[in-house]
Amino acid sequence: MAGLLLSPTEKIYILHGVQDDYRSDGRTNIDYRPMELETDVVSHASGSARLRLANTDILVGVKTEIDVPKPDNPGLGKIDFFVDCSANATPEFEGRGGEQLANNISNMLQRAYNSSQAFDLKQLCILEGKQCWKLYVDILILECGGNLCDAVSLAVKAALFNTRIPFVKAALMDGGSVDFQLSDDPYDCKLLEAGTAPLLVTLCKIGDKCVVDPSAEEESCSVISLIVGITGNPKYYSKDAIETPNFKCKCSTIGMNGPGSVAPETFKNAINQGIIAANSLDEALGRALLRERQECNNFKKNSYGFLK
Amino acid sequence: MPGPDLLSSQGLRLDGRRPNELRRIRCKLGVFTQPDGSAYLEQGNTKVLAAVYGPHQASKSKSSVEGVVVNCQYSMATFSTGERKNRPRGDRKSQEMSLHLRQALTAAIKTELYPRSQIDIYIEVLQADGGAYCASVNAATLALVDAGVPLRAYACACSASMAWRGAEPAPLLDVGHVEEAAGGVVLTVASLPSTGNIALLELSHRLHSDYFEIVLSRAMQGCRDIEIILDRAVREHLAEGWTKQDIVTI
Amino acid sequence: MWTTKTFLTKTKRGNVLKIVREHYLRDDLLCGSAACNVCPHKDDELVLDANPESICGLFDYNHYLVLDTNVVLHQIDVLEEDALKNVIILQTVLEEVKHQNTAIFQRLLEIIGNKKRNFYSFVNEHHKDTYVERKPGEKQNDRNDRAIRKAASWYASHLSIKNMAERFPQIVLLSDDENNRKLAQEEGIVACSVKDYIENVNGYAGLTDKLSKNVIPESCSKDALYPAHLTPTQIHAGIRNGKLHQGTFHASRDNFLEGNVTVTGYEKSILLQGHIGINRAIDGDIVAIEIFPQEEWRQPSDIVLEDKAEDPGDFLEEESQLLNTKKTVANDDICPTGKVVGIIRRKWRQYCGILMPSKFPGATRHLFTPAEKRIPRVRIETRQSDILASQRILVALDSWPRNSRYPLGHFVRSLGPIGDKNAENEVILLEHDVPHARFSEAVLACLPPDDWTIPEEEIKKRVDLRSICVCSVDPPGCTDIDDALHARRVGDRYEVGVHIADVTHFVRPHSALDREAAARATTVYLVDKRIDMVPDLLSSNLCSLRGGEERLAFSCVWEMDENANVLSTKFHKSVIKSRAAMTYEEAQIAIDTTSRNDEVATSLRTLNALAKKLKQRRLDNGALLLASPEIRFQVDSETHEPLEVQAKRILDTNSMVEEFMLLANVSVAERVAADYPQSALLRRHPAPPPANFHTFLKAARRQGFELDVSTNKSFSKSLNEAVIPERPFFNTLLRIMATRCMQQAVYFSSGSKTQEEYYHYGLACPIYTHFTSPIRRYADVVVHRLLAGALGADATHAALLDARAAQALCDNLNYRHRQAQLAGRASVALNTHILFKNREEIESAVVLAVKRNALQVLIPKYGLEGPLYLPSDKFLYNEEENIQICNDIILKTFDELTVRLTLDSTNLQHRKLVFQLVTPFIPGVSYEKEKADDDKMDVEIVEPKTNVKKRKEVSEPKKKKKSKK
Repeated sequence: MAGLLLSPTEKIYILHGVQDDYRSDGRTNIDYRPMELETDVVSHASGSARLRLANTDILVGVKTEIDVPKPDNPGLGKIDFFVDCSANATPEFEGRGGEQLANNISNMLQRAYNSSQAFDLKQLCILEGKQCWKLYVDILILECGGNLCDAVSLAVKAALFNTRIPFVKAALMDGGSVDFQLSDDPYDCKLLEAGTAPLLVTLCKIGDKCVVDPSAEEESCSVISLIVGITGNPKYYSKDAIETPNFKCKCSTIGMNGPGSVAPETFKNAINQGIIAANSLDEALGRALLRERQECNNFKKNSYGFLK
Repeated sequence: MPGPDLLSSQGLRLDGRRPNELRRIRCKLGVFTQPDGSAYLEQGNTKVLAAVYGPHQASKSKSSVEGVVVNCQYSMATFSTGERKNRPRGDRKSQEMSLHLRQALTAAIKTELYPRSQIDIYIEVLQADGGAYCASVNAATLALVDAGVPLRAYACACSASMAWRGAEPAPLLDVGHVEEAAGGVVLTVASLPSTGNIALLELSHRLHSDYFEIVLSRAMQGCRDIEIILDRAVREHLAEGWTKQDIVTI
Repeated sequence: MWTTKTFLTKTKRGNVLKIVREHYLRDDLLCGSAACNVCPHKDDELVLDANPESICGLFDYNHYLVLDTNVVLHQIDVLEEDALKNVIILQTVLEEVKHQNTAIFQRLLEIIGNKKRNFYSFVNEHHKDTYVERKPGEKQNDRNDRAIRKAASWYASHLSIKNMAERFPQIVLLSDDENNRKLAQEEGIVACSVKDYIENVNGYAGLTDKLSKNVIPESCSKDALYPAHLTPTQIHAGIRNGKLHQGTFHASRDNFLEGNVTVTGYEKSILLQGHIGINRAIDGDIVAIEIFPQEEWRQPSDIVLEDKAEDPGDFLEEESQLLNTKKTVANDDICPTGKVVGIIRRKWRQYCGILMPSKFPGATRHLFTPAEKRIPRVRIETRQSDILASQRILVALDSWPRNSRYPLGHFVRSLGPIGDKNAENEVILLEHDVPHARFSEAVLACLPPDDWTIPEEEIKKRVDLRSICVCSVDPPGCTDIDDALHARRVGDRYEVGVHIADVTHFVRPHSALDREAAARATTVYLVDKRIDMVPDLLSSNLCSLRGGEERLAFSCVWEMDENANVLSTKFHKSVIKSRAAMTYEEAQIAIDTTSRNDEVATSLRTLNALAKKLKQRRLDNGALLLASPEIRFQVDSETHEPLEVQAKRILDTNSMVEEFMLLANVSVAERVAADYPQSALLRRHPAPPPANFHTFLKAARRQGFELDVSTNKSFSKSLNEAVIPERPFFNTLLRIMATRCMQQAVYFSSGSKTQEEYYHYGLACPIYTHFTSPIRRYADVVVHRLLAGALGADATHAALLDARAAQALCDNLNYRHRQAQLAGRASVALNTHILFKNREEIESAVVLAVKRNALQVLIPKYGLEGPLYLPSDKFLYNEEENIQICNDIILKTFDELTVRLTLDSTNLQHRKLVFQLVTPFIPGVSYEKEKADDDKMDVEIVEPKTNVKKRKEVSEPKKKKKSKK
């Protein structure tokens, strides 16, 4: 990204590799780089996750607030995405330097989540037309090592999966005001259903082919990239997989980024490639999150955070 | 009539510490690869990341022949506080914090070694539970060490407050959020403990000058304690050598 | 150094905040036992004896007691006895008690602070081996119980370390929670109920009497007399959806089966009638009520109904006979009526009263009649009924089960024989909630040594005024002298100083002494007794500005011209040496003896002259000169029996001292308010609402005076003009009545009111505070600290600057001052009764007010006041004119009468002064010597109280005893 200089020879080397489905670091075109994931890292957020994809470091915190639903959707809650590019990642982000990139990503997420099949806002309803939860999904980009969109979407999904919403008993009072009671038991919470939450897959067009999870070097070889948002499959996020219906992945958003252009045929292939990549990514994420939750239940989790 | 009791009759604070005890401090150097130096520091539930870039060529407008320009930015994650913050930086409070950081850190850096250069220090507060400024200074010191920037001394910051055990004044060290919110004074000191100098001192609320001395000396004691912890962390980090983090595939 | 193991405790609050707090667990907390071989105790940290001998027959081995929270909450009276020693109070318990009942918490702290009791508070919540974390789905209560058991078993194993078998103390857990006991036994902890334990204690007679008869009131559904109360959740839901209402229950004084509740949204208070309607609510309780539909509303009964003297057993009487059930349609007196369905919070305290022993010999259950008529009788168990029957006793309420006609309570302590002066004083103090226990060890530890003298360095810090001729002027016999004065000529000006005892030098903020003084808030003066706010050493010695002794003072010094205009004001801490401590009379004589030209006399004369000018200026500004009938008892120095009573005399010197105190208070108030805009402690006197004056103005008009009450200035002026030359007492009488129209002056913190509201109506000054009596008023102590802080003479502290704390302090001060005032009046009444025990007097009286069935009369000679009842068959009350008419005799306000005074002692708890009309003579009403015995029956007797509230009730329509016959 920032100040990366590649010679033409290096670029050609990368290009040829992609053509042969064998990339410079040994991956195939739909392989991701190794990731590290930890949930519940910000103790006073309702849900949080930290994801490290190679050198990309994302921290997501979910906070909840009580809000009034929109009049046209009285039974739905609200979800809001906010991306902050920390100057820790690069001095370019200092001040308002990262704002444009941040807006791009948050808009992409907002669009990807804007469907009942991607994320069910009904579960955030407290009292129809009167009160609902508003989720603030705050994404902090701490280090940029390429492929921000994908990393962000993974971290967001993990954080939502980790989010606990307190049980609230609400009752309508005379005069239309709402009165609600919170349980004094901190364990009295419900977990969000985030199985269908979409993942974003960036397909970077290099030559005629596309690769997922481009490294910073690969990104600089490409003129255009496609971003597809693919809904998740709740099957991967439930302990008894049999009872949970098997959802087919759906494409909830498509975006393009960069100055180049794409042939329709490449486009179609790319989307299919994205769906396959997203599906395997989703499955891996689900497995990791379930394992972590299991560990949490067995003994009090020791949070590593940044100390590891 | 006395305000909220910050000390129990057994002499323990609300979280179980004694008046002269710091919160638990855990820290690590070199958490990121891209910055020239980085550090993570936890002081109780206050968690801070610091990154250092430079010294590099200073932008023309800031450049100084006298010495290196220290550029600080203090930023708080929107989820770092109890109530969500609307913006991570740019508000008055963060700008003030940036200035205070610069004040304390400039005092610690051997600025004369790098004329016409600039050092960027970026602070990201991940969780704020009182004493965010202190944690920021301490984390920045570690990040500067990690970046190999020559320092005069460690810059350490610590806060202290005033409480009474019966009629005896008992200053509290390293004030947490609950104690901060209870009202009363908070004295924040950034110092270079090995030289004994004070780089920055800030006092909120009114404190009678009779008690100033004991509160200040308690805060200075805290700075010295912190220096020991930071020094140990630096030595451990160097002894280990720089090792890449274990990578777990999912 | 220390264990830095972090645990997080999460709490949720308000909206959706997730709060995470650190919780450090330590390994350096001590167990406090002398039998321990492990903990590194210092000698003074050993609280628990090594060989705590068992006093309980159930356990024949040495043991420590661990208490469950419910034991502390319900059995604090037992704990306060010296019997139980070597008790471990866990932090879990301490915090739960603090949360649930601050009064009991304070009492518990008192016990822990008493070294002789060997109570050790163990910080189990921060000990690494005894901390337990709440499990998912576990209730907070269950977690706390688990924490208590965990700590108990930890102690057991901790003490066994390196101790010979059976040689170390065991642990016994006392709990009234059956479930907790069961779980404890399963875990191998010896557990026992308090009842079983105490009943087997040897050698402490009467301990079992103090056991609380606490049963869960709603559980006794068998033979239930009363309907069950709703659960808190049901009440909460009911109040939220508007079906139920919340309010404070006020029982009627006259009818034990009636009471009312004031509820927001209803203009009239809600009437409650009958056992079922009141459903076990006791005066003061916060209750949930249901209001009946309008067709079932009733009017309050107008009969006097007392509970039967005998214990009828557990059944409720047929009420229709007792209660007035008649229903008049469309009557103005109809009140919204309802019933109690649940208790939100009990406001029980301990009650004074007398035991009415059961008529069956050897019975242990007896009835107790409280002195306060609003409180129902209480059933207690005691084996000492023979002894207690002749005593005033104190009883605590425990519970009121559904199947019991009376609430259950237990005997707390005896106050002394009925009629005994000390016992009666004790009753007055307890009933007015006056803290009067002896000062605790912790408080006394804050005092300087008896032979304390001013250290040299302290003198250096202060302005040395020892060379100045300062003197004090006080009532005779005053030992707590908190003010002294001086005046001298400097050039063409005068220097006048007011020197106030520097109490804050000794009472340091946050010390036990300070906390105690803050809680007491004021010194309470009874006729023959003084209940000090600070210990005697301070109040009568080190702080008291005695003549000829060097004392620390806080001085306010003015520079004045000869017209008493203040040119400059200085405040400083000082050292003074009073030349003379004089009485008002002595000072008056010194001034009047023109031959005396010594320093003291000249100084007094200057002061007196300036004071007169100050007073004139004050009156010109509209200050009211009000009067209240104050009386003084001449008390026998040996027996403390009152010998004679007389109205207080007012001398010039009284007002001289008063003027300078007012000036000092105002000067300080201005300074303090400027420096502490949010938290200064001030005193305001709101202007009375015009409605208060209504009857007063009417009465004055009938005497031919139009009073202008629009402002205090005009009021003051018209009062001055309302003089009848041939009736010198008339003007004073007017002023006495004007006082009754006033509002109470109150303390407040400067942040809580706007600048305009600071106004002191009575003194006609824009700002006022109390500075001049720190020995006897806590408000002055605070003002001293504020002023010292403003001057830099002393440290300020956070609480001084906290506006919220300041307001809370004011609330307590106001409450205590009111109670102290009432206690003082009750003491006067008590002494009046003693004085009139065996005499009768015929005195002239004045009518203060005309009521529906009585005249409120004042006897100027004694300053006594009381109702003179008029039988309704002879007198006709004219509401419009506010007069009583009997044939051709018209009685109205300001009329002069002659009355006969006697004491009625038929009811031991409520002795009353009886006023009987002598002249004008009305046959069948007025007292005649021969006929006296017959007529007595016609007169309702009520104790003479000056209290406004009580007078109101007297005016309520009541049928006479006659109608009951």
